[in-house]
Amino acid sequence: MTHFFLSLLFFALPQSADPAALPPEAAVLLRSGIEAENHHDEDTAIAAFRKASDAAPNSAVVFFRLGSAYMKKRDYFSAVAPLKRAAELSPEAPAVHQMLGFALLSQGYSNDAIPHLEKAQEYGALGIAQLQSGHPEEALANFQLALAKSPGDPDLLYYLSKASTSLASQSVDKLLATAPDSARAHQVLAQHYFSIKSYPEARKEYEAALVQRPDLPGLRLELGQVFAAASRWSEAEDQFRAEVKLQPGSAEAAFRLGDSSLQQGKMNEAATELQRSNELSPNMSETLYALGRALAVGDPQAAAKSFTRVTEIEKDSPLAAQAFLALAGLHRKLGSSPLADRDMQEYRRITAKTQPPEHSND
Amino acid sequence: MLLQISRKLAVGLLSISTGGNSFAQLANSPSQAIFSVEPLQGVDFTLRNSPTSRKYLIETMPGGAALLDYNNDGLLDIFLVNAGRIQDPLTVPPSFSRRDPRYWNRLYRQNKDGTFTDVTEQAGLADAGDTNYGMGVAIGDYDNDGFPDLYVTNFGKNILYHNNGNGTFTDVTAKAGVAAGGWSTSAGFFDYDNDGKLDLFVARYLDWTVSNSKTCGPATRSTYCPPGEFPAASNILYHNRGDGTFEDVSVPSGIAAKKGHGLGVAFADYDGDGFIDIFVANDVTNQFLFHNNGNGTFTESALDVGAALTSDGKMLSGMGVVFQDYDNDGLPDLLVTQLPHQPYVAFHNEGKGIFTAQELETGFGALSGTVSGWGVGLEDFDNDGWKDAFIVQGHVFDNVEMYDSTLRYREPPLLALNHNGRFERANAGSQIPVAGRGAAFGDLRNRGSVDVIATSLGEHPQLYSNRGCKNHWLGITLRGTKSNRDGFGARVRVNGQVRFATASGSYLSSSDKRLHFGLGSATKANVEITWPSGIHQRMQDVTADRFITVEESPQ
Repeated sequence: MTHFFLSLLFFALPQSADPAALPPEAAVLLRSGIEAENHHDEDTAIAAFRKASDAAPNSAVVFFRLGSAYMKKRDYFSAVAPLKRAAELSPEAPAVHQMLGFALLSQGYSNDAIPHLEKAQEYGALGIAQLQSGHPEEALANFQLALAKSPGDPDLLYYLSKASTSLASQSVDKLLATAPDSARAHQVLAQHYFSIKSYPEARKEYEAALVQRPDLPGLRLELGQVFAAASRWSEAEDQFRAEVKLQPGSAEAAFRLGDSSLQQGKMNEAATELQRSNELSPNMSETLYALGRALAVGDPQAAAKSFTRVTEIEKDSPLAAQAFLALAGLHRKLGSSPLADRDMQEYRRITAKTQPPEHSND
Repeated sequence: MLLQISRKLAVGLLSISTGGNSFAQLANSPSQAIFSVEPLQGVDFTLRNSPTSRKYLIETMPGGAALLDYNNDGLLDIFLVNAGRIQDPLTVPPSFSRRDPRYWNRLYRQNKDGTFTDVTEQAGLADAGDTNYGMGVAIGDYDNDGFPDLYVTNFGKNILYHNNGNGTFTDVTAKAGVAAGGWSTSAGFFDYDNDGKLDLFVARYLDWTVSNSKTCGPATRSTYCPPGEFPAASNILYHNRGDGTFEDVSVPSGIAAKKGHGLGVAFADYDGDGFIDIFVANDVTNQFLFHNNGNGTFTESALDVGAALTSDGKMLSGMGVVFQDYDNDGLPDLLVTQLPHQPYVAFHNEGKGIFTAQELETGFGALSGTVSGWGVGLEDFDNDGWKDAFIVQGHVFDNVEMYDSTLRYREPPLLALNHNGRFERANAGSQIPVAGRGAAFGDLRNRGSVDVIATSLGEHPQLYSNRGCKNHWLGITLRGTKSNRDGFGARVRVNGQVRFATASGSYLSSSDKRLHFGLGSATKANVEITWPSGIHQRMQDVTADRFITVEESPQ
C-alpha cells in the first residue's frame, strides 16, 4: 500500500512555494532545502526546512515542504506534525490535505485520514481508508470514481475487489443476524461450507434452505455441485434435473445436467442436454468440449466439429490441448493418421508451454 | 427393551471389530452377493508396514500376494510379501528387521481340507534380507522345469527363488543377476522374444532414499509426498539366457530410455503382431506402453496410441493395471486404477494398434469418484461370459480424512459386474473398509469360480471367497513345449471370449496362471489357442465345468 501512495507523491508536491513571500532568512533556507531535495539529500533538506519553519512559523509552504520531505524518506510519523500545521495555516489547500491524508493512512490512522482525503478528492486513497475503517460501501463508490480516472490501475482494481468482498461479507453478516433461519441464510452458510470443502455441512444447509423454499432458483444447482465435488454424480444429476425444471432457460443448469450424465456414461442423455445448453448460450468452450466427449462414440464427426470449435475459441489454453488430444483420438479411430499426427503436434506444442518440466518422461 | 439393548451392544462391538463399520453396513449383504469374506484357516499373516511419524513413502505402498501351486498338487497355495520394521527415524543405511519372523514373507501350502499350513521356513523362504523392505511378487517357471519360481521385489535388492521341485526354494539371485536395486514394485515374467524362455520385467517407482525422504503438508497433518517430489526411475528388462542367468537389456531394448513412476505392470500383444507388449501403470506421469518391435527393442508409444492419459488429457495416478479383453471383441484392453476424483480408466483397444480412454462409457467414472484403487482384476466372477472387475481400495494417506472429508483411508473393495462392456456396482459381500493394496485372483478351491486374495496394510489378508453360481465354466492350464512352459503370452479363445495367458497384472501381485472362462449356460466349449510360438490349436466341444490341461502341439 505504501508503494501505492509514494507512486502518487509527485502529484501532491506544491507548485506555489514562493520564497519571496517569506522572511529572507526563511526564504534562503527554503531554497537551500529545495536544492538539497533536488539532489536527493533528504536529511539536509529536512534540516533546512526545519530551520525555515523556525524562522517562518506561519508559513504553510514551509511546513508543507518539511512534511513532504519526511514523506519522501517514508518517515510518515514525523511528517504528520508539520503537515497538520500546514493544514491549520492553509485549510483549503488540497495538496496539504492529500499529503496529510497519505501520512495518516500510511500509519493505519484511516479514520483520521478520511476528512483530509475527502478534501483532497483523492478517491483511491479515500476508498482504502474507508475500507479499512469498515465502510466498504462508500469505499466501493470511491474506487469506481478513481478507476474512472485511471482505468485498469491494478492497485485500484485490487482494492475494488477487496471492497466488494468486504461488502458481501457485511451483507452476509447482516443476513445471518437478522434472518438466521431463512432459506437465504442457509444458502449463504452452504456456500461457505462448500468453499472450504466441507461438503456434508454444505449439503445439510442447502437441504435446510430447500425445505423452506423448494422453488428458489439456484439452490438445486448449487446443491448439485456439492454432490459433483464429491463425485456423487447420480445425486448431482437429480439436483441439476430439478434445477432445469425450475430454470429451463438456464444454460448453466443444462450444462451441469449434461455433464453429470456424461460422468455416468449416459452419453445420449448428456449430448441432448449439452446441445441444449449450447443453443441457450452458444460457443461456451466447456460446453462444447463436454459435448464432444458425449458425441465421441456415437457420432465422431459431430464430436470432431465440437472439439475443433473448442480449439478455435481457446487457442493455446489447457482446454485447447485437451480438445486436440481428443481430436487425435477421433482421427485415429476414423483412420485419418495425418490429421491425428497434426492434432498431436498441436497438443504437444500447447502442453510444452503449460506443463511443468517434471511431467516429461524422458 | 432387551432387544434394543442387545442391538446397541452389538453395534458397539461391531464398530470396534471392524474399524467403525456400522451394523447396517455389515447387515447389507444379501444372498446374491458374489463373495463372502472367509477366514483363511492357518494363515496368520499380518502385513506389517510399520507406519511412522516421518511418513516414509515406502511404508504406504506394500504389499503383494500370489496364488501359485508351488508343489504341483493341484491346489493353489498362497505367498504373501511382508514389508518390514521401520525405525522412526530410519538409520542410514536402513535395516528392516526382516530376520524377525514377524516380518517374513510367508508361503502357505493349501491342504486338501482347504486349510493352510505355513511352510515358509521349510521352503527356505524365511530370510528376505534385512536391508530389503518388501513390495511385490512375480511368479513364473523361468527354467521350464514345471515348477513355478518366485521373484520378490523390494525397496532394496530383489530376490529370485528357484523352485527346487521338492517343496523347497533356493535364492539364486546372485547367479541369475536379477537383484535390480532401488525401489522395485510390480514385476512379471513374460517371453518378449518368443524364444520359449520367460524374461522378467521389473517396474520401479522412483528414486527414494532415507536421505532424500521428506514429508508434505502442514506440520500438524504432515503426510506422504507425491511422486513428483522425487526423481523418476527407469524400469528394468531382464532377458533370460536359458542357463539360469539373465541379462539386463534395459538399455539396448529401449526400456531404460523412459523414466517414470512405475507401480503396476501387465503384458499382452495389443496389436496382434505376435510379440508381447508391456504396459506400465505410472503414478502421475504418462502411462507407458512399450510396443515390442519384434527385434529385441521396444518403443514407448502410449501417447501416440491413446493409452497415456485420461480422455480429458489428464495424467493418471496409475497404480494397478490389468490387460485383458473386457468387451469380448478379442482385443486386450486396459484397466488402470488410480486415486480419488480421477476415474479408473478403461483404455479400450480399438484395433489397428490404438486405444481410446473410455472411463465414462464403461461406467468407471461413476464407480470411482472418491476411492483409490490398487490391485485389480478382470475375471468372470459370475461365469456369465463377461469379465467383471474387482478392485482393492484404500487411500495412500493414512490421515487423508484431515485433508478431504469425502475421502477415507480405509475403503471396501469394488466389485463391478460387466454387462456387455459396461460395468455396474455389485455386492462384493463385504463393506468392511481396509487399506487395500495387493490382489491376486484364482480359483482357490477348484470349484469353478474365481476367488480373490487381497492384502491390506497392517491387517490380515482377506479372502473374498466366490459363492459360485449355476453358470458353467472351463479352467485351462497351458503347457508350452516350444513356447515357454507356462504358456504366458498365449491367446486363448473360448466360445468367443479371449484371455491372454499371464500371471501378471494387478498391483504387486501374481495370479493363478490357469485361465478361467465363464460359459454362461453353455455346457460345451470350443477352444482355440494361439501359442507364442505361433502354433494354433483347436478343440471342439470340450465338456464344461472342469479343468483341462492343453499341451502345445508340435505344429
